[in-house]
Amino acid sequence: MPVQLKRLLESCVPKGVQWAGLRVVRTSRRMYAAKDGRFDVAFQGFDEGCMVEVLHEGQFGYAAIGSLDPAAVRTAAERALALARAAGPRAVFRFGPDVRPATVLRFESPRKQPLEQAADRLAGHAVKLTEAMRISEKIVQAAAAYELRDVETRIVSTSGADIEQEVHTVISWAQAVARDGAVTQRRTANGWFARVHQGGTELLNLEGSIPEAVQLAGQAIELLSAEECPSARMDLVLAPDQMMLQIHESVGHPLELDRILGDERNYAGSSFVKLSDIGTLRYGSPLMNITFDPTVAGEAACYGADDIGNTARKEHIIRDGILVRALGSLESQARSGRPGVANQRAQDWYRPAIDRMANLNHEPGDSGFEDIIASIRKGIFMQTNRSWSIDDHRNKFQFGCEHARLIEDGKLTRLIRNPNYRGVSSSFWRSLVKVGDASTFAVFGTTNCGKGEPNQAISTGHASPVCAFRDVEVFGGES
Amino acid sequence: MRTMPECETLFDKARGLLLDPLAGGESLALEFAGESSDFLRFTGARVRQIGCVQQAGVRLTYYRDGRTVGAGFELSGNKKVDAERAARILAEVRRQAGFLPEDPWQVLPSASEQSRGEFPGRFPGPDQLADEVLAPGRVTGEAGADFVGIHSQGAVCRGAANSRGARHWFAAETFCTDYSAWLPGGKALKSSYAGRQWDAGEYRKRLESAAPRLKALARPEKIIPPGTYRVYIAPEALAEFVPFFSWNGLGERSMREGESAWRALREGRRTMSPLFRASQDFSLGVEPRFNELAEAAPERLVLVEGGKLAATVVSTRSAKQYGVPSTAAPEDERVRSLVIDPGRLDAEKAVDVIGTGLYISNLHYLNWSDYDSGRITGMTRFACFWVEDGKIEAPIRDMRFDESIYHLFGDKLLDASHQRILVPDTGTYMLRSLGGSLLPGLLVRDFTFTL
Repeated sequence: MPVQLKRLLESCVPKGVQWAGLRVVRTSRRMYAAKDGRFDVAFQGFDEGCMVEVLHEGQFGYAAIGSLDPAAVRTAAERALALARAAGPRAVFRFGPDVRPATVLRFESPRKQPLEQAADRLAGHAVKLTEAMRISEKIVQAAAAYELRDVETRIVSTSGADIEQEVHTVISWAQAVARDGAVTQRRTANGWFARVHQGGTELLNLEGSIPEAVQLAGQAIELLSAEECPSARMDLVLAPDQMMLQIHESVGHPLELDRILGDERNYAGSSFVKLSDIGTLRYGSPLMNITFDPTVAGEAACYGADDIGNTARKEHIIRDGILVRALGSLESQARSGRPGVANQRAQDWYRPAIDRMANLNHEPGDSGFEDIIASIRKGIFMQTNRSWSIDDHRNKFQFGCEHARLIEDGKLTRLIRNPNYRGVSSSFWRSLVKVGDASTFAVFGTTNCGKGEPNQAISTGHASPVCAFRDVEVFGGES
Repeated sequence: MRTMPECETLFDKARGLLLDPLAGGESLALEFAGESSDFLRFTGARVRQIGCVQQAGVRLTYYRDGRTVGAGFELSGNKKVDAERAARILAEVRRQAGFLPEDPWQVLPSASEQSRGEFPGRFPGPDQLADEVLAPGRVTGEAGADFVGIHSQGAVCRGAANSRGARHWFAAETFCTDYSAWLPGGKALKSSYAGRQWDAGEYRKRLESAAPRLKALARPEKIIPPGTYRVYIAPEALAEFVPFFSWNGLGERSMREGESAWRALREGRRTMSPLFRASQDFSLGVEPRFNELAEAAPERLVLVEGGKLAATVVSTRSAKQYGVPSTAAPEDERVRSLVIDPGRLDAEKAVDVIGTGLYISNLHYLNWSDYDSGRITGMTRFACFWVEDGKIEAPIRDMRFDESIYHLFGDKLLDASHQRILVPDTGTYMLRSLGGSLLPGLLVRDFTFTL
């Protein structure tokens, strides 16, 4: 980043502030999509802007502009101060500069091939992939997309923070939609843009992606004539590409500390978890171990420090089923008096940072996949998230998957379509009875976790083994 | 903060930077989206975060030799920087057009109309913002409730142009206070105050009207068992279904590619109630008619009528692909400015008309649960009540529903209210949204609750 940010900061800091900081974000994106053996979309984007923050008598004010022009940044800082000054008497909490640590660090996602060099061939490959998926007239849509993102963030502050982070992300997605009369079925590569990883195109196994996509198309066709999911209570085994959604919705969001403090009540909701539960609540069975982990190689939300400069490290959130720590940033920790993690994140330069998930994972256990299946007399194995809905306290949920097989007397048997299940978070995780070992562990994520007012969407990572739950209500589509 | 005229100047500068350098054989369409907004986020009637955002982004579509390349960048407002960015983007799209596969459904920009709409507003300055928004919140405090929400205000601008001479501009100075009032037991009611001319008296009046409704919410909660119930779905709750007209909805491409949950309607396997009529209607005046290719949609498009599908929304690209007329829909073929026709029911008497059942004020986190049957699941939220013999008895513990659009707007629809409310789109993902829907309340029998 060529601009001398420290000098820019010095030139724009208004008089009378306790602290000031700049967060400059520069993003480059390329996306290619194809459909049915033909080109669909090519997109190239570039964005750069600056978030100016000031602290005045305990109240932060912010101003975001798409410019690094010193005069524009100075004007933005003055407005941030005016807003903070006017809001001060009505502040919900008086913060000190300690919630903006003077961290100095550099972080970069490991990557073998820079974006510019690697991306050009992806448009042609997407076309080839979707052409290969058209294995039958019953395939009414074969789609594929690749997206590459480079995000450079630089943070400087009057207390001495100097952080440079470069996050390189690669996203791939493929979908086959099959139709036979009134019945439609869909299979995707692990869910809606769930293959989101930090790294470069070396992660993309382009050759292997073609037979895999052909297999997806075949599965979509098979599902057309599969049995409808029965409505019954049975044991439920979830693959990692559904566990990611289960963790995200019924562990991650309820444990965001700003939710527990009530900040999100008007929009995304609050939580069934109370402050007094932290350290004591039995969230799940003793097999449940959830970590906040910014260090898993290639996972979507690795970073060295969050967007207010707090150094990130791995922390247990749930240990042996007990809630030990919430997902709360330095600001939430100051307001609540509870420990947290480095998770104050912003979508981009034009949004203020708030408590978010980052990488939130279920640690592997010690059961092999075959052992898990063999242990179940009557159950169902579901793969790949398709639908999700949960209440505003993050308790009553309903999730749907693309693909399932019944488990009967310890064996995977009949193919099932439209598998759905519903439950209540506060009891569901206590029915966790098996956790897969490292051989079942897989890393996925999402690019569109939405929250906050004003709204913002962010990427999160979720890694998990296969897990089994006892006695869950499952049901299918309307016959 | 950038004014509407300053945003428009920036839009015209971008037009020049991108259209003037085009050579023979090159075409281009561009859209501009900008805002200069203040945001005040509050909880417990106190400031949680306060700030402002100034954005001006351009997205363009470039066409050459049968290739189509999209691109986007942020305008800084600095002449030199923006010229460099535009040149960089043009160089890149030209480079990519050299190797991309041919676009089989490319349609070159052909619209050449012009339009301009500018709607000034008036709202509190930065020094008064916190006081004006939060001081009246003491009314909810006096009723024992926490005041939580977000206030946004400022200029929101949209523009579109193309290499055939089309130029459209739409700018409005708007505000929206989107808030909820929370009782200690966790029950709340939600409302909003939005418009262009901030009126402190009107704002205070709205907050004061919450007090009697909060009293009903303070009663002990009733737990409703899963089952089917007669319900009145208030307009604000019905608004949560609006995205489902777009997402796997009434877009032509979604129908053709097997993803639309409305396919059964198109194929005549299911019908809607003759009481149900839905249209896209820009006479609402809440958003522009033009799309990213600077095409202007017809002012009105009837979508569902007489129990049948009357039209889909069709982009120019889909029009070419499927050989059907375009409705100048945006590329994502979302339905805009949705209007649902009124019925005969008096909304003031909704509780009477329910008899025994549920009054649904708001819903939350809806999602398709089954596309083939058009089923949507979601949760009740905020001030939903159990009604018995025409009287509000108690607030309910939130329930999950799972119901098909073919029942909700079909055989289970009993009536709609003749009063309708303009429910604004309060989304602020990336930018403050424009738009809204004009909606009645719906009386529905046997609405399915599952958990």
